[in-house]
Amino acid sequence: MNYHFDFSFLDGKVGALLGGLKITLELTLVSNLLGLTFGFLLCLTTLNRRAIVRWPARMFIEFFRCTPALLQIVWFFYCIPMMFDFFIGPIALGIIALGLNLTAFNAEAYRAGVQAVPKEHLDACVALGLRPWQRTFYVVLPQALRSATPILMTNGIGALQQSALVAVVAVGDLMYVGNRLATDAYRPLETYTLIAVIYFALSVPVAQLVRLIERKQDFATER
Amino acid sequence: MSVNFAIVFPYWRVLLGGLMLTVAFTLGCAIAGSIGGFVLSLLRISTNRWIKSAAAFYVEIFRGTPLLIQLFWMFFCLPVLFRISIPPALSVLLSLTMYMIAITSETFRGALKSIASEQHDACIALGLTPRVKVLYVIFPQGLLRAAPPLLSNVVSLFKESALISSVGIADLMLVGQNISTNTARPVEFLSAVGAIYFLVAFPLTRLVGVVETRMLRRYTY
Amino acid sequence: MNAHTSIEIQTLDEEPSPETYPAFVELRDVYKSYGANLVVMNAMTLDMRADDRLVIIGPSGSGKSSLLRCMMGLEGIQGGEIRFQGRRYIQGGPGYAPTGIDRALQRQIGMVFQHYTLFPHLSVLANLILAPVKVGGMSRQEATERARAYLVRLGLESKLLAYPSQLSGGQKQRVAIARALMLEPKLMLFDEVTSALDPEMVIEVQNVMLQLAEQKMAMIIVTHDMHFARDIATRVVFCANGSIVEQGPPGRLFRQPKEARTREFLEKVLHLD
Repeated sequence: MNYHFDFSFLDGKVGALLGGLKITLELTLVSNLLGLTFGFLLCLTTLNRRAIVRWPARMFIEFFRCTPALLQIVWFFYCIPMMFDFFIGPIALGIIALGLNLTAFNAEAYRAGVQAVPKEHLDACVALGLRPWQRTFYVVLPQALRSATPILMTNGIGALQQSALVAVVAVGDLMYVGNRLATDAYRPLETYTLIAVIYFALSVPVAQLVRLIERKQDFATER
Repeated sequence: MSVNFAIVFPYWRVLLGGLMLTVAFTLGCAIAGSIGGFVLSLLRISTNRWIKSAAAFYVEIFRGTPLLIQLFWMFFCLPVLFRISIPPALSVLLSLTMYMIAITSETFRGALKSIASEQHDACIALGLTPRVKVLYVIFPQGLLRAAPPLLSNVVSLFKESALISSVGIADLMLVGQNISTNTARPVEFLSAVGAIYFLVAFPLTRLVGVVETRMLRRYTY
Repeated sequence: MNAHTSIEIQTLDEEPSPETYPAFVELRDVYKSYGANLVVMNAMTLDMRADDRLVIIGPSGSGKSSLLRCMMGLEGIQGGEIRFQGRRYIQGGPGYAPTGIDRALQRQIGMVFQHYTLFPHLSVLANLILAPVKVGGMSRQEATERARAYLVRLGLESKLLAYPSQLSGGQKQRVAIARALMLEPKLMLFDEVTSALDPEMVIEVQNVMLQLAEQKMAMIIVTHDMHFARDIATRVVFCANGSIVEQGPPGRLFRQPKEARTREFLEKVLHLD
């Protein structure tokens, strides 16, 4: 296995890579913002007392969780322009597709967090005479958010990995740029390795942070 | 714009072929990946510092990079690196299996960790040798506890397998995309493909829940 | 008033003289700490005879459970020595894992825990015969017979093939005791085995322990139940902050504690009698 690594072809292409990286980060961060806020709202909907409110929310979540992300993205890119006459830029379309996907997964994470709050705490609130909204705001929410945070962050990095899928529909993110470079210069090994390293370098710090938070939480809730 | 789902039905045989391929890849890589993942999880609790770190690093790589890049890397770079030509199906199998190994090793690790520490104490109190303890107490319980999340991992793999379409494997995703391009009716065909994925993944996800609550309650704490 | 079934066991009201103490268990200056700040066993020294039943009482964090766990060899001690049946059993050493344990002696000690003791994936029978068959070299048939005999004595014969998830808390603990007894230990350790049980089930487990006492089994028991302590103990040991504050026959200790600390504790936990 004597392959001569040669990164020289990258001279002058750094700008293109950075452009792709910028788009990847844009996709990830904005879809995360959408996913975190709407996921929370969607979660509340699934916990509503009225079944007629719960069911559509549940269907939404199940649909996005039980179909491939790639399919969702491809569907958005080919079907939305056909179905609706107005034009949304490809990046915005990507953000919406990724954002909706993340919303569904985050809604489940929030729900798990809420259900992890021990029933005894709810009982204690009733016994202390707290009103329902006080109970939610001061007791359930803080604890639910605390247990949901690691999963939400893991989903967030997952969104980074999934953002690479938009390259398949020719959105100029890091993956797409890398693809172009690899084929243009006939150097797939260096290019793809470099791209992988960049994604890795972005993910690892967040993953470590998640582990740190989880360990602190285990310690805090022990006995 | 009018939507007519009846045009999908004549293509059922092709779509089924794509589905079969998807399922074949999923099952093959799921089985190989689970076995490999189990071995890897054992390496991760090894006492040797280097083995433990190497195993942890492996998991980090495959979870910290997009699956798409892993597929592309195996597909394009491996032949270049080793100066041999690898059939596309093989590189895809390799890539998905290595990904699955990383994912399932975390599942097994979590399952082993969830065994109550009092079980370990009980083994010492009964004077069980390490071999007996692992074989009769830890391993069976670990397997039981890992079963529901493992099934969940397989369902995830089923969905992620759609990516192999991007390197030209004629799975359900690629077949659907091709037909929709040829007939210029993406809405009907892509929705149909989505429905097929859903109809497989959704019941299986539900099954995981049932397995977890009904069966497991009998054999675990 | 003895609330348990009428079981005749000998409890003493006076301290036997030291000359009649053939050493069975000896703790000598046993020291255990977690890091520099948390000392759980502070130079504990304790003697036990072969027909003793020690009950250890005291507030949380007093080193009671640590004593049992170290006795079983689950955790190590950093200083001092534990002798069993006149021989060196456990030495103090650096690090938290137990070092220098005489395994042959360890095998003669059995222990029952507070929680999650039975193996949930195995039937009651499998739980009982696993150790004797796989480690003790007993034949499956013989082990099964012995297991069945124990279950009959406990009145749990119908549960032979049941799984722990199908048993009540009291039944689980009784099976756990039987499982330990299958190996014919010389010393039994009980770590708060009834603390997690509903009151109705506490009595049935304690009755089993009293039956064992009748058969002269040596025991060290950690419990919060003072009435039970009074019924079963030959000697009560009161620990606080990792040290043994006072020890003596239950009759005397409960009625006329010598140390102020003991009195303080007993006033809090003993109900009017």
